[in-house]
Amino acid sequence: MNEFNQTLSNLSMDNFKLLLSALEASRSGIIVTDNQLPDNPIIFANHAFELISGYKHQEIIGRNCRFLQGNDREQEARFILAKAVKDGEDCIVELRNYKKNGALIWNELYMSPVKNEAGVVTHFIGVQNDITRRKKAESDLYEERELKERNGHKRTNSLKENEEYLKAIIETIRESLIVLDNEFHVISANAHFYRTFALSPEDVIGQSIYQVRKGAWDIAELRQLLEEVLPENNPFEGFEMSHDFPVVGKKHFVLNARRIEVDGDFKDRILLALEDVTEYKENEIRKDDFLSIASHELRTPLTTVKGYNQLISRMLPANSAPVLVETLRKSNVYIDKLNSLISDLLDVSRIQAGRVELNQTLFELDDMVKECVENIQTGISSHVFNIKGSTNTKISGDRERLEQVLVNLIENAAKYSPASKSVDVYLSVVGDYIKVSVSDYGVGIKLDDHKKIFERFYRAKETQKDFAGIGIGLYVCESIIKEHDGTLWVDSDPGKGSTFSFTLPLQKNIT
Amino acid sequence: MKYKILICDDDDGIVEMLSLLLNLSGFEVISQLHSINIFDDITNHNPQLIILDLWMPGLSGDEISRRLKANKDTNQIPILISSASRDGEKIAYKANANRFISKPFDVSNLIDTVNSLLQPMNNAS
Repeated sequence: MNEFNQTLSNLSMDNFKLLLSALEASRSGIIVTDNQLPDNPIIFANHAFELISGYKHQEIIGRNCRFLQGNDREQEARFILAKAVKDGEDCIVELRNYKKNGALIWNELYMSPVKNEAGVVTHFIGVQNDITRRKKAESDLYEERELKERNGHKRTNSLKENEEYLKAIIETIRESLIVLDNEFHVISANAHFYRTFALSPEDVIGQSIYQVRKGAWDIAELRQLLEEVLPENNPFEGFEMSHDFPVVGKKHFVLNARRIEVDGDFKDRILLALEDVTEYKENEIRKDDFLSIASHELRTPLTTVKGYNQLISRMLPANSAPVLVETLRKSNVYIDKLNSLISDLLDVSRIQAGRVELNQTLFELDDMVKECVENIQTGISSHVFNIKGSTNTKISGDRERLEQVLVNLIENAAKYSPASKSVDVYLSVVGDYIKVSVSDYGVGIKLDDHKKIFERFYRAKETQKDFAGIGIGLYVCESIIKEHDGTLWVDSDPGKGSTFSFTLPLQKNIT
Repeated sequence: MKYKILICDDDDGIVEMLSLLLNLSGFEVISQLHSINIFDDITNHNPQLIILDLWMPGLSGDEISRRLKANKDTNQIPILISSASRDGEKIAYKANANRFISKPFDVSNLIDTVNSLLQPMNNAS
């Protein structure tokens, strides 16, 4: 009997694996959401979904699907979807989604509920296909028809004008443009390119790009872009490259590359656009140096003040008035607060330079959260902090840094909900991640600000007036979570409150 | 006999505060704002402990520490480095300093550290 059970469970395990690989092999994006967890988070996403959305696995798990629509919330398909979710029915919609880089994609989404024996909807399964090309073809066709009706017979005459017109545009833009043939020989380049690199057409036209200026352009990163990246990802945007060029010196670039796919004379030509970001990069470095030095210089007098302050405390006679002792103690507390603000500033420049070092240990997440919440509760009496749910798992991470994140999120929640009484911390396991959410019922955040609040020194306009702060807390938090291979994001409606959530990968191989 | 402590820091606020603190705790203090002069001070005063800042014009604290520890006449003197830089700890121990304390420090913590560095000498005498 036992043996039979064993065989059965082996079989189902194999079946499970088989099903899983079938899902992974699918070219349609497939996701599963858990309808019984708050905010219906995604707990599974296959590889095709990552490709379609442009987000990495860790950035998808734990989130509500709405993150794909960005600011485009009023589209009709969303209301159809919301109704189907509410009623537990299936539906097919055409949705405008946005990739991580902001590019619009049209998705055809088939969504279907999963019910348990009692008829309760436990999960939703979403299958989506990228129909951007079809949509584009539809609108191109429409445009072409329009154009034909307008121009009719004028067409041939205007061909030459068109060419002149396009050339004028290309020569005017302040970005370097190069056209290569399929063997990387330079066919043409614009004036800005020649100016930026102190070259003339004789130096480059007809030559292989790698041979220009005796191999000055034979750059490993450029070869990588042209020979490895572009054949697989056409067009490719935002490729970063730095190189020390003859005459003009060290330059830092962001490149866009595109291979022409339309059949005809121009097929397989490669367009390269180079944006010179050298100055921007230098400014960034200067700013980070400034922050490092400023933090150091601010700490020096703080050391003296703190020292004297503690010396006074030591010199106080034993029978001093309690109010005097308390006053000194308080000034000490605020000196330490000032010091931690300076540390935050230093953290920012650290993170910017990519130098956050994690001190990884294995610890019980639920315990850590409980300890943090209790500590905060002793300091803040205006709110009640509740912990809901649990993960019952150990995670591997920098405990001190993760505490820093949690404290920051919880203190923010209290700070930005002065009129409400409670802040909820929700713990759950979503797929192969743990998720921690901190919800307040306060002022909330405008949709336009949802991304910006994670930027350095950004402060929402409304906040600036009513709440003190320098706008680096969330930037630091996001970097710490990213460093742990997790994701931090916000869901919020102005006037209703905000929920900040982060995910961290579940520890593997732990029994 | 009072222990002699040499402080070298380019910030006179810190030097003044530290001198007062150490005097009150029963130590004799020699202070130096210009790191270039520190080797003369060591020869002239024979301190039992040296407290160094890291970033100073002229000679940096880690450079001084490295030189003192490489010299057999001075390598017995315990060195305490204190800095407001977060890399300070790494730099200090790389330069063979005995202890590191970050700025701003806790006064009692500093005195405890000073005492523990002087402890072996207490036992010897």
